[in-house]
Amino acid sequence: MDLTFTEREQAFREELREWFARNDPGQEPESDEDLHFKWRRDFQARLAADGLAAVHWPPEYGGRGASVTESAIFFEELGRSGAPLPANVLGLLLAGPTIMLWGSDRQKERYLAPILSGEEIWCQGFSEPDAGSDLASLKTRAVKEGGEWVISGQKVWTSGAQYSKWCMLVARSDPSAPKHRGLTYFLMDMEQDGVQVRPLRQITGSPEFNELFIDGARVPAENVLGGEGNGWKVALTTLMNERAGLAFFLQVRLRQLLDRLIAQAAASGAIEQPLVAARLGELQMRAEILRLTAYRGLTATEKYGQPGPEGSLTKWMWSQTNQELTQFAVDLIGPEALAEGNPWAYELLRARGNSIEGGTTEVLKNIVAERVLGLPKSR
Amino acid sequence: MDFDLSDQQKEIKSVAHDLLTERSTFAKVRACAEERRYDEQLWRELVELGWTGIAVGEEHGGGGLGMVELAVLLEELGYACAAVPFLGSAVSAAALAAETIDAGGELLATLVSGERRAAVGLPSMAADGAGAGLAIVIDGGRALLMREPQVEEVATVDPTRSYARVSGGAQSALGAAARGRVLIALAAELVGVCQRALDMTLAYVKERRQFDVPVGSFQAVSHRCAEMFRFTESARSATYYAAWAADAAEEAIAEASALAAAAAIEAGREVTAGAIQMHGGIGFTWEADVHWLYKRAQLDCALLGPLKGHQVALGELAAQRLAAAR
Repeated sequence: MDLTFTEREQAFREELREWFARNDPGQEPESDEDLHFKWRRDFQARLAADGLAAVHWPPEYGGRGASVTESAIFFEELGRSGAPLPANVLGLLLAGPTIMLWGSDRQKERYLAPILSGEEIWCQGFSEPDAGSDLASLKTRAVKEGGEWVISGQKVWTSGAQYSKWCMLVARSDPSAPKHRGLTYFLMDMEQDGVQVRPLRQITGSPEFNELFIDGARVPAENVLGGEGNGWKVALTTLMNERAGLAFFLQVRLRQLLDRLIAQAAASGAIEQPLVAARLGELQMRAEILRLTAYRGLTATEKYGQPGPEGSLTKWMWSQTNQELTQFAVDLIGPEALAEGNPWAYELLRARGNSIEGGTTEVLKNIVAERVLGLPKSR
Repeated sequence: MDFDLSDQQKEIKSVAHDLLTERSTFAKVRACAEERRYDEQLWRELVELGWTGIAVGEEHGGGGLGMVELAVLLEELGYACAAVPFLGSAVSAAALAAETIDAGGELLATLVSGERRAAVGLPSMAADGAGAGLAIVIDGGRALLMREPQVEEVATVDPTRSYARVSGGAQSALGAAARGRVLIALAAELVGVCQRALDMTLAYVKERRQFDVPVGSFQAVSHRCAEMFRFTESARSATYYAAWAADAAEEAIAEASALAAAAAIEAGREVTAGAIQMHGGIGFTWEADVHWLYKRAQLDCALLGPLKGHQVALGELAAQRLAAAR
């Protein structure tokens, strides 16, 4: 057991810290979604120019071949610097690694470079109105017509769809096969008449996500990824890539939010009240446990090739802590925290999504119970 | 970075686990508890194996290892709920080895050899009180060494161990290293207690059938088990981090040990209470063994001091760090 970083890891962290200090992303555009996205896209271009857009990608595709720990360090430093997640985060974290594993040489050649540069943005067409936690029951249909596939159906929670050139789309290509076997993974061009994007306004009031209405969209046969009928396996690759690095970014954002609250409580003198200090300390405890447990997961991934049992816990811990933190902020600051435009009001509302997005807490508990604790399949 | 036990530490854990599985069955723990005595034979064996001095330098007859290795042993002893006076002596030895007060090592030598027993905890209640010739107690923010204290045994709800009020004797103040080690040791024992409570619960809910199915297939049950797992792993993350800090990052010990204490108190109470609940009616009987774990956890948590106290300390330390950074 050694919780110090290696010299190589430390040097990488310092290099990043220096890079982020030199590369101020500038004022975050707050009111305009499009300007906000452009801000993130421009920042990704700067990262890409210095080979930092996807440090975990192998060098032959423009990455740094960073280890799992180094990748976590990247997201920690990104979060700490206040810089935004790259605009093409789904391309970099999900589409890229999935294409690297399942794609043909031609597909790798065609898609990877524009993901890295941010030239082509990607979105993820997995969830449907009737297929959330039970993803494999999805109904969007893919029918083969000559040399192409014709897709019809509806997807939901597709963030960034309005900016996307491509969609990682999972659809049912064989309705007669068992539900996990009848799926195919497509790389679908978003710029066609058969694809309509409608913003989905969420409880914060802003449309961070979209609905996709797909009606007769065309996908050439060469845009199948990983083979016909193999969509579930390919989709699992995407899902497994979803949490690893991002967990560290989110963990640091939570840290920043908590630091802001503690500083506010210290400035107002509220921290002198033992009840306030105890509650802040409890949140500090949860944030630290999350950080340490995430590090245990990193070690397990590096040593054994997959996260250990603790890997199933961090997303659950993060969402719970973020919800507790934002709720306590409102308690501490009082009703003015709920005034429209107060940043804590946004954080409070946004946090409700934390225990739903990327796997609900209830599903995560099922996963822990069945896969980690070996309990019988739940009912 | 490597946040995992080393091969040697894993070996120590597995040897300790196997030994205690054989020598400290619940039947034995129960026999000792019902007669309110220690398992002296097992105790002598552990001393001979060098467990008491694992975190003491070789120059004082110890094993020359550190707090992580001691935490591994304490976790396994907690798992077994073993009726031996190990905690008091081994932790006192580790604490004195980290301080300068016993530079000559006279106390250390007698603790390692088992010749002298020690109590640890609070002045009002210290673990392993019976026959203690030395006590290390946490008195508010500081740790206190008592040589030849007056020991007044108190029968508690946990009869697997002797507890006592300790007072008087020759008293000297100890530093953060000693205080931190006492907290980390209690936390480590609690990690083991939690793991055992979880394991017993999982075995039970897979076996016990109602409505024609194992009760573990009901989400009301399986989700509670998942919560018990989360608490246990949280305490484990915090405790092993703190044990590592004691060995390798001494400046972090006050904060790390407060974190370990808080996480272990929360886990100890939640997980052992959950174990009784998930066992249903049988869990409330004297016959089922889960209550030994609940009782040990209650005492360990009480000795760690109030949960809120550690949380206040964590909040204040974080505020100070932020102020210093500005």
